[in-house]
Amino acid sequence: MNRPARGRYRVAIVGGGVVGLFTAYHLARAGAGPIVVVDRGFLSSGASGRNGGGVRQQWETAATVRLARESVAAWRRFGREFGFNIWFRPGGYLFLAGTRDELGRLAEVHRVVAGEGLPAELLDRDGVARHADGLSLDGVVGGTFLRSDGTLYPFPVLWGLSETLRSLGVELLYGVEATGLRLEDGRVTGLATAAGPIEAAAVVNAAGGWSAEFTRRAGLVAFNEARRHEILATEPLKPFLDPMVVRLSDGLYFSQTMRGEIVGGLTVPHPPGTAGGMSSSPEFLVRMARALTGLLPRVRGLGILRAWSGYYDENPDGLPSIGEDPRRPGLFHANGFGGHGFMLAPASTRRVAQAVLGEPTDLDPAQFHPGRFLDAHRAAPAEGLTLG
Amino acid sequence: MGDAPRSTVRFRGRPLSLPRGATLVQALVRGRLPILQRSIRYHRPRAPSCGTGACSQCLVRVNGRPNVRACLYRPATDDVIRTENAWPSPEFDLFGALDAVFPRGLDTVHGFRRPAVFAPLYHRVIRRLAGFGRMADTPGPTPPPGRTVPTDALVVGAGPSGRAAAQHLASAGRSTVLVDRGSTGDPLPGVTAYDTTTVVFLPPPLSGGERPFRAIAVRDGGEALRLAARTVVVATGGYDGPLLFPGNDRPGVMTAEGALAFTPPGGDPPFRRALLVGGGPRAAELLDAAGAHIEAVVAPTQIAPTVVGRASALGIPLYPRTLLLAAKGRHRLRSVLLRRRGEGAPFSLEVDAVVLAHRRLPQPQLFFQAGARMAWRSAGGAYFPVLTDGATSVPGLFACGTAVGHPDRADAAASGVAAADAALGRTGAPAGGPTLVPDGPPHELEGYYRELLDGARRRGKWVLCPCEDVLLREVETASRGGYRGIEVIKRFTGIGTGLCQGRYCLPDALLLLAILEGRPPSDVGYITQRPPVVPVPLGALAELPDAPEAA
Ligand SMILES: Cc1cc2nc3c(=O)[nH]c(=O)nc-3n(C[C@H](O)[C@H](O)[C@H](O)COP(=O)(O)OP(=O)(O)OC[C@H]3O[C@@H](n4cnc5c(N)ncnc54)[C@H](O)[C@@H]3O)c2cc1C
Repeated sequence: MNRPARGRYRVAIVGGGVVGLFTAYHLARAGAGPIVVVDRGFLSSGASGRNGGGVRQQWETAATVRLARESVAAWRRFGREFGFNIWFRPGGYLFLAGTRDELGRLAEVHRVVAGEGLPAELLDRDGVARHADGLSLDGVVGGTFLRSDGTLYPFPVLWGLSETLRSLGVELLYGVEATGLRLEDGRVTGLATAAGPIEAAAVVNAAGGWSAEFTRRAGLVAFNEARRHEILATEPLKPFLDPMVVRLSDGLYFSQTMRGEIVGGLTVPHPPGTAGGMSSSPEFLVRMARALTGLLPRVRGLGILRAWSGYYDENPDGLPSIGEDPRRPGLFHANGFGGHGFMLAPASTRRVAQAVLGEPTDLDPAQFHPGRFLDAHRAAPAEGLTLG
Repeated sequence: MGDAPRSTVRFRGRPLSLPRGATLVQALVRGRLPILQRSIRYHRPRAPSCGTGACSQCLVRVNGRPNVRACLYRPATDDVIRTENAWPSPEFDLFGALDAVFPRGLDTVHGFRRPAVFAPLYHRVIRRLAGFGRMADTPGPTPPPGRTVPTDALVVGAGPSGRAAAQHLASAGRSTVLVDRGSTGDPLPGVTAYDTTTVVFLPPPLSGGERPFRAIAVRDGGEALRLAARTVVVATGGYDGPLLFPGNDRPGVMTAEGALAFTPPGGDPPFRRALLVGGGPRAAELLDAAGAHIEAVVAPTQIAPTVVGRASALGIPLYPRTLLLAAKGRHRLRSVLLRRRGEGAPFSLEVDAVVLAHRRLPQPQLFFQAGARMAWRSAGGAYFPVLTDGATSVPGLFACGTAVGHPDRADAAASGVAAADAALGRTGAPAGGPTLVPDGPPHELEGYYRELLDGARRRGKWVLCPCEDVLLREVETASRGGYRGIEVIKRFTGIGTGLCQGRYCLPDALLLLAILEGRPPSDVGYITQRPPVVPVPLGALAELPDAPEAA
């Protein structure tokens, strides 16, 4: 088993997915001191190695639009900064509305996004047709489109981060489970792990779909919960689809990857928690096949190559938790990202690092602070555009 | 075949007359295989190879539909058939220059980053290389409506063991469905048989309920079935495994299954003088089927007496314990370079094909999908389900035949009966201990590969994963860079993510990674076997009714 090289660290991070690694990166760049990342799986075993690679800046809440826009800039730089090609391709995100109500919702999204200075387009049916070939427009009344949204290839992000972190002296311990916190007078002094205790002045919970489990292991009530989310890839075809397409009514989304596969998913209800495992269900395959062939009839003869699943880590208000847990000084949260933790990681984790270092962040505590769910009367805007 | 009924199709713009009922590949074989495809990254010429529709080497476009497997497809009159992914043709493809321009491969993980202003151009170029066919011209016909088929017992695979199991279950009064991706053979009393039906997904059983298994199958012609069964017997058999050497993807390198499938009924095999690789029962079968066209027999290890006997009778030279160093030829295979293990100088043989019959591997996907406990057996170099008297660790799921390690036909039938007995609750069947294949010393190919890689001059491309054109070199580089375990290597290099979903790279990759990582193959891990077993058309699944309630 991997073992920590030293007895004491400034920060111990639970979870070596994109959120944990990017947090470590910002901390290391800020010269925070010795940092260790523990992960019970292997690099890419969590949601960070199982997602659709979608990157969008169209949101209902302005704060999320800003995090997304800053992250897009980071994705554009990533190849130069980390030495790996992540194939970020701005093919746009095309949201589809099937009813006047849905279009009204998208108009509101459009207003927020345009208000942040991004050139999103509000589309009627013909406008939708201009952005994607071959869609069946029965049941489509309009949509929105933003060209600078797009897709990336998640794996090289993880390779680039982990290699860079190693060269910065950050310890990455895969195959090591964090079993709880070590406390003194109610304050965090370190981490209990399967490889023995690790002393650390701060612990970051970046355990993705398992972060609620870790919060509970720390003896606290968790407000987020894991939901299994399924996805599939088809046989590869020559390029024919540029944008990521997302349908509001059922959460259907799909794009064509650099490798030519159509990768997409759909919301199929699963009971919360991680007990069910990360397998695929026949219900998903059938519903996804119906939805996809309905919207894009020419894929009817196209083969499904493989299906898999992972966990969305969902907060009740659709926004992540970033900052220190008021119930346990020294425990910081970087979780609750739902289906969007990959795209938002670069900017969000910069705020996590700031919080760990005791610096102020520009985030509204009512929207992002982990303590917000303790306040029954809070009234901050929630993020409702959480599908796709 | 002179006056057998024939159909006329348009193949690459010209009329082609072919015997009705033949597969497209059989119809195109003229003493050698047609080159129908180019590989995905380097546009290397590719000819059909696996004969089971699993690999990516015979995809053609039929009536405006991409990615049709020519080795399985039986053309109908007036079909319009074209090739894909090559210009002007798969034999002479201008993109083939990529292969020569990038002799050490193309690094898409680190490369193509600078200058940043070129990113859109790189994206366009690399995207164009991706994929085999273009999107379908039209949606095509709506597939027939799917349906649910309830049964007591479902038997998957109609080889000797599956047929024996089905017969035994039916004679005990159980309603029994027998499916096979090919033919189910002669009718069996009381058994409902479905030919050309592939079970693509066997989820773990539902808890409670009359019929806890809900397997999904797809039939030729696009009909989807939901097979609701109380008991499932998996008898999915085996397939002929890969062998790695430079030029292992050249037109003319094929599996034993391929060699048999490409031979037209009553016709000649798809080669004139082939090198047969293997020294066991499978090699003996090939000698029986195509002995007149076998130039020599080589085996990574020993050659069994039955093979020696047959080959000697035909005057075919034998080379036991021999390394296959390279397959040569500009396009098609012209010769192979061999060397006795441990000694001697390399020598070459002029052959136009290499037939791989050295290794029979189990088809384990359904066991993995259903959540059965599996065990690595180094003797078989593969994972097998852990069995107790024909029963897997999943209640209601039983297994028999080659899929669990019964090598020959007589044993296989007996194992089918034993599995059926276990399913019927009759214990005391003589199927033996927890697994049939003993664990033991490392698989013989591990030593073979150690010797092959040790000091070998690396000339030419060693295509470890032909579907995605991933080179051995890339895996070695990743491994040296600290990426460990098959799951990480898969995501880093893309091996095992192509059309065959790892069938033709994973078995070798496990052995090679074991060597590179200095630990046993069982510690290297395994790729999660994701559904479906073979690609299923979206349209077929879309027609499936919603699942009936569990209870
Ligand atoms: C199918 C699917 C599609 C998605 N599509 C998109 C998309 O298109 N765009 C997008 O931005 N996002 C998408 N997401 C969401 C995105 O993948 C996640 O939000 C993001 O990867 C979360 O990163 P993470 O590092 O927090 O979690 P993970 O990558 O899951 O990492 C958490 C890590 O914590 C480790 N861990 C857990 N518990 C412990 C413990 N006790 N001790 C030690 N280690 C532990 C795990 O092993 C794991 O490696 C998708 C998610 C899924 C499942």
